[in-house]
Amino acid sequence: MVSFIYHFFTPQTSNNYRPRLLHPKILLLLTLFFFSAGLLMSFAKTNYPEILGISSDVSIDQLLILTNQKRQESGLPPLSLDGRLNTAAANKGSDMLAKGYWAHIAPDGATPWVFIRGAGYNYTFAGENLARGYTNTSDVINAWMASQSHKDNILSPNYNNVGFAVVTGNLNGEDTVVVVEMFGSTTLAAAPSKTQEETVKEVATGSTEESFAQVPKAQALVEEESSPLAQEKTNTETVASNVNPKIKPLINAETFSSNLASVAITIFMFVFILDMIIIERKKILRFVGHNLDHIMFLGLILALILVIIKGYIV
Amino acid sequence: MIKKFLKHLNYYLLLLIIFSIGLLATVFASPNTNLQILIIVLTIASYVFWGILHHKLNHELTNKIIVEYLLIGLLGFSIIFFIFTGGI
Repeated sequence: MVSFIYHFFTPQTSNNYRPRLLHPKILLLLTLFFFSAGLLMSFAKTNYPEILGISSDVSIDQLLILTNQKRQESGLPPLSLDGRLNTAAANKGSDMLAKGYWAHIAPDGATPWVFIRGAGYNYTFAGENLARGYTNTSDVINAWMASQSHKDNILSPNYNNVGFAVVTGNLNGEDTVVVVEMFGSTTLAAAPSKTQEETVKEVATGSTEESFAQVPKAQALVEEESSPLAQEKTNTETVASNVNPKIKPLINAETFSSNLASVAITIFMFVFILDMIIIERKKILRFVGHNLDHIMFLGLILALILVIIKGYIV
Repeated sequence: MIKKFLKHLNYYLLLLIIFSIGLLATVFASPNTNLQILIIVLTIASYVFWGILHHKLNHELTNKIIVEYLLIGLLGFSIIFFIFTGGI
């Protein structure tokens, strides 16, 4: 057993002074393994979501606690959870999955305000933060707090209500967890630090990430009557019922695949380093590729994995 | 080992530049997975080409070395494929 391990991981006479793991046949076998495993996992995710799929520990309770914690640290009053904003957030999340977009404004032009008004919340101020691909609540909040526009929403004195949705589904071919946070207030009293002119200016600059709007209550009601809002509401509610955020698979595909890939790459890097040191010490002449090239390349693959599985915010 | 590295310093600087561009482009391409895959394929292809050219210019290129770079490149891509299809 020990000699097999040496044969597999270190250069010696039995493997022609190249660890068996680095021989072309083994490299080819491992390549085929990863291609097949990827296809197999894709099949399992589609057909057995209760066994293999995407799961996350992001919870609405924790989102509320952490959002209010950040506000309290800045001397701001906590936000209260509003059922209508929860509904608006759920409808927005479901709409993104159904229509395959990742933005504040839908391809059909529906803004976050359509969802908020559609849920029966006639706002004075409203805002929206979006995140996807995060596996725990604190990572979501930290990502938002690291972005000025999202932080401005969390720490805005203009809001007194908040609603959340955590929706699991497939977005443009990628199984993911979408987190929607919607802010709102129905009174002007909560906005002592901004004049109406300043607020409107923020909207006019057009940053969709700021997601900040100020519409007089009466105007919002008029818009509600003149736009096909009832139909929009029905559509989004139908979509929401098609998504089941409660499925918690036995194995989290993202964690499993990234861990397996990282372990495999680390083993390869370790074997390349070991091989480089032993060959250098024994002064053995070989005609093979430079180990340092491959170590750097595997380091790049490791970095790419971290980029790929990283969550996004808009 | 260090002497050998310093002798090939220019080659490694070029490799670092290729990898940095590939990594940054992948970051900026997110969340467009199709574009990310395209960038990664191009980066891996550049690595294989760089490896073969490096050995060619140093007069130490053999068929075995070409196969080695191709297989390491393919292994890297298979791992990325595994993450994209199986993981996310």
